[in-house]
Amino acid sequence: MTRRKFIQKAIETAAAIAVGVFWLAEKTGMKKFVRAGKLKIYPGTLKPLGNINSQSKWSG
Amino acid sequence: MTVQCELCPKRCVIKPGQSGECRVRINVDGTLRTVVYGFPCSIHIDPIEKKPFFHFLPGSKTFSLATVGCNLHCKNCQNWEISQANPEDSEAAFCPPEKLVELTRDYQCPSLSYTYTDPVVYYEYTYDTAKLARQAGIRNTLVTAAYINQQPWKQLLQYVDAVRIDLKGISDDFYRQICSATLKPVQDAIVQTRASGVHLEIINLIIPTLNDNPEQIRRLVCWVRDNVGGDVPIHFSRFFPQYKMRNLPPTSSQTLDMARDIALSEGLSYVYIGNILSESGQNTYCPGCKRLLIERSEYTVLQNHLRDGCCPDCKKAIYGVWK
Repeated sequence: MTRRKFIQKAIETAAAIAVGVFWLAEKTGMKKFVRAGKLKIYPGTLKPLGNINSQSKWSG
Repeated sequence: MTVQCELCPKRCVIKPGQSGECRVRINVDGTLRTVVYGFPCSIHIDPIEKKPFFHFLPGSKTFSLATVGCNLHCKNCQNWEISQANPEDSEAAFCPPEKLVELTRDYQCPSLSYTYTDPVVYYEYTYDTAKLARQAGIRNTLVTAAYINQQPWKQLLQYVDAVRIDLKGISDDFYRQICSATLKPVQDAIVQTRASGVHLEIINLIIPTLNDNPEQIRRLVCWVRDNVGGDVPIHFSRFFPQYKMRNLPPTSSQTLDMARDIALSEGLSYVYIGNILSESGQNTYCPGCKRLLIERSEYTVLQNHLRDGCCPDCKKAIYGVWK
């Protein structure tokens, strides 16, 4: 192998490793949290507020 | 185009027109949307002790709300009718953040509680309301399983005054098999909450045969003591057969007493028993001189002897937010 070919191979290998590492880091790394947008229409049924001033039957 | 929700550790990859596991975060034309923003399914005024918070404004009322949806699917969920409901099949009122703050003020509640289901899944609604409430001098409390990623949790904690976190067990297997979640993110959120300086209380629901082993309880309380400190209040709560777990009996009072004894023997200062009448398991005692500080019966404060957050006898400062 000539010196020129060796350098070319080395550059190609290094580039492939760099791309792989970058891809892996992107896949496994923590992405930035982005807020969800609002929907203006509720997909269920709308109801009045009801009797707020009472203790809930739900736990918590 | 699919979207990935980065709110909770499930990191759902959502196809167009579909929702994540929580049922309330959906992909609309390649954009992540929340369908429950401004649409609570339940609004009530509860005693703060019902959450339960025992060291946060005792005896006060809290304006409480929830939307449908949850990112966990606990087989024993007590509120499954709303937490596991599809928004399409549910009823909700229209109540934007401004209105919630106005109502909280009108009903003279010193705090707003995001509760019943899990505020993690109605994150944006909670965040915006909490920010407005803080500006209006109203405190914010979260009642949550804390299955959330660290970045959004940190952002939300800025506007929160108290968090009650459900530590459901101390094994990853328990979280996977019973709750369809994992343990580590919950532990991280607990540690992060304590480090942020926000008031923290922990609850553990004891389920017969699943997490009532004395060694498991000891491991749980030791983890709490070693990672967030022995002064963080812990509540052991009684299980009742519910939802997909109707085959097990309710937790016995002996098991709850045993859990309390273990926690006290391991150096936790404030250990309570909930969902059951208990003579002393709901009272606060001074960890220094053992004097009765707050006497409670269910959700009612019968006596409160604290003076400026301290024991009136030995003057020991008691962990909490008292005014």
